[in-house]
Amino acid sequence: MRSLMIQVTRRVLMMGAGIALLAAVSAGAQAGDVKKIAVLVPEQGTDYGWNQQGVDAARAVAEKFGLEFLPAEGLGYGDVRPTLRELADEGASLMIAHASGYNTAAPEIAQETGVPVAVVDKPDGLVAGLVADYTLSGHDGAYLAGILAAKMSRTGTVGIVVSGEPPSWNSQSAGFAMGVKSAGTGTKILYAVIGPAAYADAAGGRRVTESVISAGADVVFGQGNGSSFGMIQAVETTKAIDGGKAWFIDVIGDKTGLDKGHLLSSVLWDMVPVYSAMVEDLKSGAFGTVGYKIGLVDDSVRLLKTKHIPSDTWGELMEVRQQIIDGSVTVAEVYDAQDVRALMTSVEVPAE
Amino acid sequence: MGGLLTEVFIASLLFGAVTVGIPLLLAGLGEQISEKSGVLNIGIEGMMLMGAYGGFVAAYYTESFWFGFLAGGFLGMAVAFLMVLFCVLLSMNQIVIGIALTIGAEGLTALLHHFQFSRTYPRMPEVPTLDIPGLQNIPVIGPAFFERHPLVYLSILLVVFVAWIFRRTQIGLNLQAAGDKPAALDAAGVNVKLTRACAVLTTGFLAGIGGAFMANVGAGLFVPHMTHGAGFIGIVLAMLARGKPLWVLLGAALFGSSLALTTALQVAGLNIPTDVVQMLPFAMVIVVLILFARHSYLPPALGLPYHRGER
Repeated sequence: MRSLMIQVTRRVLMMGAGIALLAAVSAGAQAGDVKKIAVLVPEQGTDYGWNQQGVDAARAVAEKFGLEFLPAEGLGYGDVRPTLRELADEGASLMIAHASGYNTAAPEIAQETGVPVAVVDKPDGLVAGLVADYTLSGHDGAYLAGILAAKMSRTGTVGIVVSGEPPSWNSQSAGFAMGVKSAGTGTKILYAVIGPAAYADAAGGRRVTESVISAGADVVFGQGNGSSFGMIQAVETTKAIDGGKAWFIDVIGDKTGLDKGHLLSSVLWDMVPVYSAMVEDLKSGAFGTVGYKIGLVDDSVRLLKTKHIPSDTWGELMEVRQQIIDGSVTVAEVYDAQDVRALMTSVEVPAE
Repeated sequence: MGGLLTEVFIASLLFGAVTVGIPLLLAGLGEQISEKSGVLNIGIEGMMLMGAYGGFVAAYYTESFWFGFLAGGFLGMAVAFLMVLFCVLLSMNQIVIGIALTIGAEGLTALLHHFQFSRTYPRMPEVPTLDIPGLQNIPVIGPAFFERHPLVYLSILLVVFVAWIFRRTQIGLNLQAAGDKPAALDAAGVNVKLTRACAVLTTGFLAGIGGAFMANVGAGLFVPHMTHGAGFIGIVLAMLARGKPLWVLLGAALFGSSLALTTALQVAGLNIPTDVVQMLPFAMVIVVLILFARHSYLPPALGLPYHRGER
């Protein structure tokens, strides 16, 4: 009887060990098994901004790691669940849902299909192995842009025009405002949102930017996806109140090729390091345990140098950049819209 | 705030309000014509979008704003033709077809833009204006109202023209009968389907011009999805207006002014949530709806296909 119990116990233990070993091997295979990378963007990946950077970076990472690339562009801002399911059916190993409006649907589909997703603007929504967040912010770069705007402004007023208030843009608006303030020029800051999720509202972008210029701004920091082209049209066709040229500072992408002499700079983003880290974390099994960031230190955030920026000003900006990297200058991350507005109000210099 | 309220700034706000209001006015007038005849034209957003795309392409290549508006009108009319085909002639559900046309236009224009302009994003030159002597020099309102493209003046005159059509002409009576009692119109020997078809095509033409105005004058370029719900606001204005074109004009002016006010409040640096400020235009429309639209008149046959002999 005793020997029978020992035999049963041994077999149970061996089976248990076998199952554990199989599970470990299986988990390892799943973690390392990255074959296809998909990216979903609301507009076409040719906007010289958010959508293009997302698609181009995902394509570059696919090439870097030898993965099949599955882009889904121009999906709009509605329900993307069918597209996510389709991509999961196509065998995507990672789906990058590259719009804040997708950060509810994508985790749901991840749970449903078991395919890992990366979302933006949901840093509290991490799920190990399944959902990662990459709420990116170029606030350090925007801080430099703010200093540049303050130094270049002739009217003593600069403007911020945004087509929405997602966290990433809020932090850049705040960074820009803090940069303006740090320049110590007493520059006034005007702030206007085109409309709720007005990312493609080019006419609205133009209208609001024209109003901001008419209110005194001669440098406009614009964040807008498709609507940013309306902002550019505004700076190209509207003179500043002193009769001189109005300048535009863009974000995320490089629109130098489209410039007609008004693009002062851009806070450029490079998402390749972020997407690369996601693939590596998927392979190592760490996906969904950490958020991802971009910054000045690895040039994943940098300020575009154009011919319109005087060399001495650029030199000063690069000094500040180094101080931020060193840690001697800290730019606070402000993601809440109300805090951003409060910052605008606080840095405003009352009219004399 | 006081320091901000310069003549230039207020003029800019008013200028923007007019620019926003014109496409809404054209869309609203068009929708009103369609609804009067009994066709609920939900596809007007798609017609505007096609008009915006076609209007921009034509204006950009011919370097003529007028060609742009005409092309936009005809492309809007082309989309309206599908509405006629499916809803007036084949008696399909007007809401479903309208939504399908809007989604289709969104996809098609985004695709065409992708192949044609997505690497270059061309932009229109400054808008030519027809300055009204004497009035253009009035402080603040002169630049906003009297230094505009001629289409702005024509759009205002169109309100009077449509009101005259509705009240004084046989066409107006036919339109009303097609929406109120299509069987009676039929019995009088007038083709109901032809009347409705003409109304829907006119809607498409006006909505298309509105879209072209938005692209060429409002933005100075075309980007996908750029109408941003203007067509749906046009539908609301048409319903609010209770069949009266002047009310469409007032509604469009109210909406445009409210949008300008939201910009003014934000630029003034008021620390109140942007969402609250951005609600203003929509809240204004809702308030007006509650105050004035209780007795709104909708044609009894609105949305219903007409079949000869059916009661």
